[in-house]
Formats: sequence, structure tokens, C-alpha cells
Amino acid sequence: MMPIPRETQAQTPVLSCTDLRIEIGGNPVVDGTSLSIAAGETLALVGESGCGKSMTALGLIRLLPDAAHLSGGQISLQGERIDQLSERQMNRLRGNRLAMIFQEPVASLDPLMPVGRQIAEALSRSDTLTSAEVRTRVLDMLTRVGIDRPEIRARQYPFQLSGGMCQRVMIAMAMIRQPILLIADEPTTALDVTIQKQILELMGDLRRETGSAVLLITHDMGVVSESANRVAVMYAGRIVETGSVAQVFARPRHPYTAMLLRTIPRLDGPRKQALPAIAGAVPDIRDWPGGCRFHPRCPLATDHCRAKAPPLASVGASHETACWHHDRIATELT
Amino acid sequence: MSTPIVSVRELKVHFPIRSGIMGRVTDHVRAVDGVSFDLMPGRTVAIVGESGSGKSTTGYAVMGMQEPTEGQILIDGRDRARMSRSERMATMRRLQIVFQDPVSALNPRMSAADSIAEPLQIHGVGTARDRRIRVQKLLDLVGLPRSAGGKLPREFSGGQKQRIVIARALALDPQAVICDEAVSALDVSIQSQILNLFLDLQSELGLAYIFISHDLSVVRHIADDILVMRAGKVVEQGPTDDIFSTARHEYTRQLLAAVPRL
Repeated sequence: MMPIPRETQAQTPVLSCTDLRIEIGGNPVVDGTSLSIAAGETLALVGESGCGKSMTALGLIRLLPDAAHLSGGQISLQGERIDQLSERQMNRLRGNRLAMIFQEPVASLDPLMPVGRQIAEALSRSDTLTSAEVRTRVLDMLTRVGIDRPEIRARQYPFQLSGGMCQRVMIAMAMIRQPILLIADEPTTALDVTIQKQILELMGDLRRETGSAVLLITHDMGVVSESANRVAVMYAGRIVETGSVAQVFARPRHPYTAMLLRTIPRLDGPRKQALPAIAGAVPDIRDWPGGCRFHPRCPLATDHCRAKAPPLASVGASHETACWHHDRIATELT
Repeated sequence: MSTPIVSVRELKVHFPIRSGIMGRVTDHVRAVDGVSFDLMPGRTVAIVGESGSGKSTTGYAVMGMQEPTEGQILIDGRDRARMSRSERMATMRRLQIVFQDPVSALNPRMSAADSIAEPLQIHGVGTARDRRIRVQKLLDLVGLPRSAGGKLPREFSGGQKQRIVIARALALDPQAVICDEAVSALDVSIQSQILNLFLDLQSELGLAYIFISHDLSVVRHIADDILVMRAGKVVEQGPTDDIFSTARHEYTRQLLAAVPRL
């Protein structure tokens, strides 16, 4: 195998954002988020509901709901700023280089159009292919995503397909243009575990084949550990820890990550015993606490945490955490 | 040996499929097709399976919310089908159910205290004052502050709403609670709080649970016995440790292999 030259390793990320800010009605839902994803890499953005992970994703591709707006930060796609682009330019990008799949495949598909035509539509937007070529590529793609008898399935409507099959159709639609970035927002949350496994494997295969970058948004730590290279943990609008999945899972350096990993029932853990719970609940956007936003739920919190928000700082090779007490976590929380 | 609180014998629930302009029954969906198990006092039986496996329909049949097509459901050893109306009412007090989504399970215009007291009112239990005291006790039991009673559902977080639903389910002092995906819609940090609450309530009150879930890690944590269902049938059933250490059935193994590991 050829060694990968250093230049390509350190090449411009497919997507990066710095200090991204999104507001809803004057409240910051995403508060200074920075991240970057390289080609062929899966970055998982993980957090509980209301932490701003979906808003971050929608902000990155400028598909925010009307009530929300970008209030700061820079977004670059392959080194080019895209946060200032017009709606028309953005639309062209989204058709060509960016793709997105959502949690509810059935709701994301047009109920009145055969699925084959919906995939063809994604393809024909700018390419100059004959209808026979389009047909071949659609059927190929359906086969690629593991759908049997694609000629028959292509003529069927979403209601005639199962949830898992609809999600395969969504993936086919997203991947047929070979996007450089795929954003997948809870792509398997509505699916059964056995189907989830197949879909995650499929996404991994396609990523390796096409070299796309993937931003995977999920609340499921198990999904992160099995299908991402790097992880960014969000809490109350901020990234609190980021690093390689191996590092973060083996040695979490933020109390929230450490406690989250301990609180999930495991297939090899003790049974019928109290789980080490995280007290309290994720605060509402309107009353996010000052200082470190995790401090009301954190057993390590001190006055310093209540007064001043810790910055995201390096604690190892590409491992960063936003905690004043990250050196106490290994001894006191794991 | 004590009598099981719930005993399910060869339960079948079939739904007719009608077709043609006459709407004739042409076939049946065998939603539940021969399920048997016993729930002993203070124990937890879990039913796991994927969507469409019949796990919830089994729970509804136990609750009396779904008429069995065949088979028997015995409550404290008495066949539900042969009970008089008043006996049925009495069994309703002994069995309660908690659903997945606490938002749709609570009346948005009713205060937490009124929601919790409603079953007491319906069953004519105690005076207004007794009921108020009982509501306070229930709030304590599920870990909510007493001041929560006067608030409306929208003032609570998802986890707190589920605590209200659980308090309401406990109002009539049931022996068994059916939990239908009761922690599935909750955030992970809240899910463990509610699982801990279920375990605490079990040891404090001797409650039995029928725990219906798709989540094998959760089920392993909380259940004594497990039924693995697929397409209406039980493919494997036994003590939790046995199922997880030596699953015999191919489907159980597939399910276990599909669980993402931390």
C-alpha cells in the first residue's frame, strides 16, 4: 500500500466552520461552534435534545427554519467561504456537492412520486444525461444501497416500502451525485436495530468508496462508537469535547462525556442496580446558566466554573475539552 | 408458591384483513400468535422485539385494551374473559400502563396534581383531602417537588412529565405496571434517571413490571425474564442471564449482534 503523502493528509478540510452562531428569537441556540471534517472522514456530532446539534447542521448548509438565523461565524466548503452565498448559489451547492438525509425517511420523500423518479430528479438537476443513462444509474444506485429487484422497486411509491427501504432510497438519492459532504441527521433513530446496523454499514461502505466526508448527527453513543472516526460532544449550544472516537471513549476529558458514557446501560454492565445518573435536566435555551453551562449538573463544579466559561483547549493530539477540571475526571468520574 | 399476578396462556390476537367491495375478511394479520408467560409479584418480565413483532399488542391484551382472539389472560388466577364488570374494574386498579410519549399522555390543560388524582376520582377513592395527601406522597415517591402539583405539563421537561405519568399510574396502588417503551423517548441522561426510579419503586413497593422495549441494553439491565418476539411469535424466552449468555435462537443472536457497542 502506498503511504499517504503528508500534504494530502493536511489538505483543506471538506467542511469547516469557526465560531458559528445561530439565534432563535434573540436566544443563541448555537453559541460559537467550530468544527472541521476531512474527506473520507465521519465526524459525529452527539448530544441530547435541545443541545443545538441539528441546528448546527442546518446552519452549515443554510437550511435553518424561518425563526432561526445565522448571527455569526464563518463556514467554508473546500476552503471557499459559503456563509455569504446567495440563496441561488447555495441551492446549486446543495444539489451538487452537499447532500442531507434525515431521521424520518418517509416524511422526506414525496408520497405521490415513484421512488425511482425521485432519485432520477436528484440526478438530472444539472447533468446532461439521456433518459436511458439516468435509468441505468438509478437502478445501479438502488442495487448499491441493497435494494432487491430495483426495476420493480423504482416504480413503487414510498408507502409501498418499509421504513428501512425508504431510508435506503434517501441514501441512494443523496449519494447518486457523489457529494463531497453528506450530512446525516439521526439517520437510523426511527429504524429497528437490525436495520440500523445495515444502514450504518452501507453509509460506511459508500463513504470509503466515494471519499465523501460525513457529518453524522446522533444522540446514540453506541452509533458514534461504531461508525465515526471523530466525535464532537455538544451541550447547551457549545461543543464541550472533541477528539478521535478512540480517545474520547477511552479517556473522556469532560465531565458531561464521562458521565454520559457511565449512565448508559451496557450489555456487559451490572444488572438491576442503580445507574450512575446525571442529576437534573438539559436546561432550556432561555435559561442557560452562566459560566460553564454544565456546572449545575456537574459534581466537579467550583466557583470558577460558575463564573467563567472554559474555552475549548487541547488536552492531547487532536483532543480538546472545555473544562477547567479536565485533569480531575480520570480519578473522580470514571 | 404464590399465584402469578398475570398469567398469559397461548394468547392470540388476530386482526382481520378485509378486501373487495363487500369488505369480506380474506385473511388475518397474526399480530400475536401463541404467547404464554407468567408475571410473578415483584418481578420484571420484558418483551423485546422489533416494530411489528406484537410486543405492544401483547401488553394491550394484558391490560384488557385489546380483546384476545384466542387464549387466556388470568389476573390473580382468574380468567379475565369470565369476569363480571365489577371484577374487571377491580383488576383495572391492579394493572396500570405507562406509554412512551409523556406529552400525549397528559392533558395539557390539567395541572400535575389533577392528572395524578384523576384515577382516584374515577374510582371514587377517598375524600378530596385524602386525595390531596395521596398526590403529595406520589410526588415524593417519583422524585418531584411538592410545588410541582400546581403546574401544567408544558412547564415540565420530558423526564419530569414521565415522572408525572408514573405517579398517576401508581395512584391506585397497582401490583403491576406495563411499561410500553416507557424510556425510549427520553434523553440518555434522563433515561437512566427513570430506569433508576423504576428499580427503586420495585424494591419499595414490590411492583411487578411488564417491560416492553426494543432496546436490549435497557431490557438486560431491568428484567428478570425475557421474551424475544418476532412476527407475533415468541422465538425465545427465559431468564435474562441465559438469554444474554447463551441465546439459542438465530434471531436473538442477530438482535444482540446488531446492538451498537460502546
